[in-house]
Amino acid sequence: MAKTYDYLFKLLLIGDSGVGKTCVLFRFSEDAFNTTFISTIGIDFKIRTIEMDGKKIKLQIWDTAGQERFRTITTAYYRGAMGIMLVYDVTNEKSFDNIKNWIRNIEENASADVEKMLLGNKCELSSGRQVSKERGEQLAVEYGIKFMETSAKASVNVEEAFHTLARDIKTKTEKKLVTSNPPKGSMQSSGQHLRDNGPKKLGQGGGSGAALNWLSSRCTIL
Amino acid sequence: MNEEKIDNCKNNIYDHLIAEEKNKHSVYCTKCPSKILPSTLGKHMNIEFNLPHMSQKKNCESIECELLSDYWMVPDMYMFDNIGFSKPIESGLKYLICADCEIGPIGWYDDKTKQSYVALSRVKHAEDS
Repeated sequence: MAKTYDYLFKLLLIGDSGVGKTCVLFRFSEDAFNTTFISTIGIDFKIRTIEMDGKKIKLQIWDTAGQERFRTITTAYYRGAMGIMLVYDVTNEKSFDNIKNWIRNIEENASADVEKMLLGNKCELSSGRQVSKERGEQLAVEYGIKFMETSAKASVNVEEAFHTLARDIKTKTEKKLVTSNPPKGSMQSSGQHLRDNGPKKLGQGGGSGAALNWLSSRCTIL
Repeated sequence: MNEEKIDNCKNNIYDHLIAEEKNKHSVYCTKCPSKILPSTLGKHMNIEFNLPHMSQKKNCESIECELLSDYWMVPDMYMFDNIGFSKPIESGLKYLICADCEIGPIGWYDDKTKQSYVALSRVKHAEDS
């Protein structure tokens, strides 16, 4: 069967509960219909399709779904993640302070080369704002990651944020493919890699054996 | 032969949506503009499955279901443009929901076969815009 996409990226939404992580995924309205029946069961993940430079990209997006209440997320959840949206609420100082803890949690559990982005959500609520845009920008600079303020409610920057993160992962993936071996035909990036040390070796330009090994595990066709 | 005849009768109301067993049109959410499945990627199948109603009565412990038999079978979850999966219920089944407004279930997913089934009666069919 012919593939219906060019790339597949696994993304995670991470941040304190109540910052609006779930709302970031509603494109057309502020509220979900989310019947009590479905919300009782809970949501596993969503698939989204975007187009970029004529390529079809499938995003598999996981919400932490309550796990964040324990202030830690298990390694299993991070496995294979290629991008992480770190979300805080601009009207909640604590959620901003906790971003540092989330980043530490990511460093301990996720692949070293996972692409990260910082989102200050609920920016439509100017009255209750506790975290200025400048502080968000500054924190992002500190960690060398991109930053955006979003309003899931007013649909501001939400799609842009996902496009930005996807583009960065795509660029990184393509660079790696070119570095090690020019791809023959299109390759699907599935994020099934388990070797955290692979990307570092690849970056140093040596050890093509390790690089190929990493690639073959990374580019499994689902 | 008899079975076939029955099936044909049942399909009548959906005939205009099917071309060579596939979905002639793209599939959309009934409540929001989310595009769920591009045309021709779902295969029409007659399977009886008890799908819980999209809205359940309040303060009612039991879940009311509807026996539906017309589904689009999607062999690979990445064929969907936009779709959401519930957490597993019994025996590796997950319900399908709209990725944007989370209305559902609009179908179910079987983790054993990796196949998804979207109920024709719970989605909207329209030409590509």
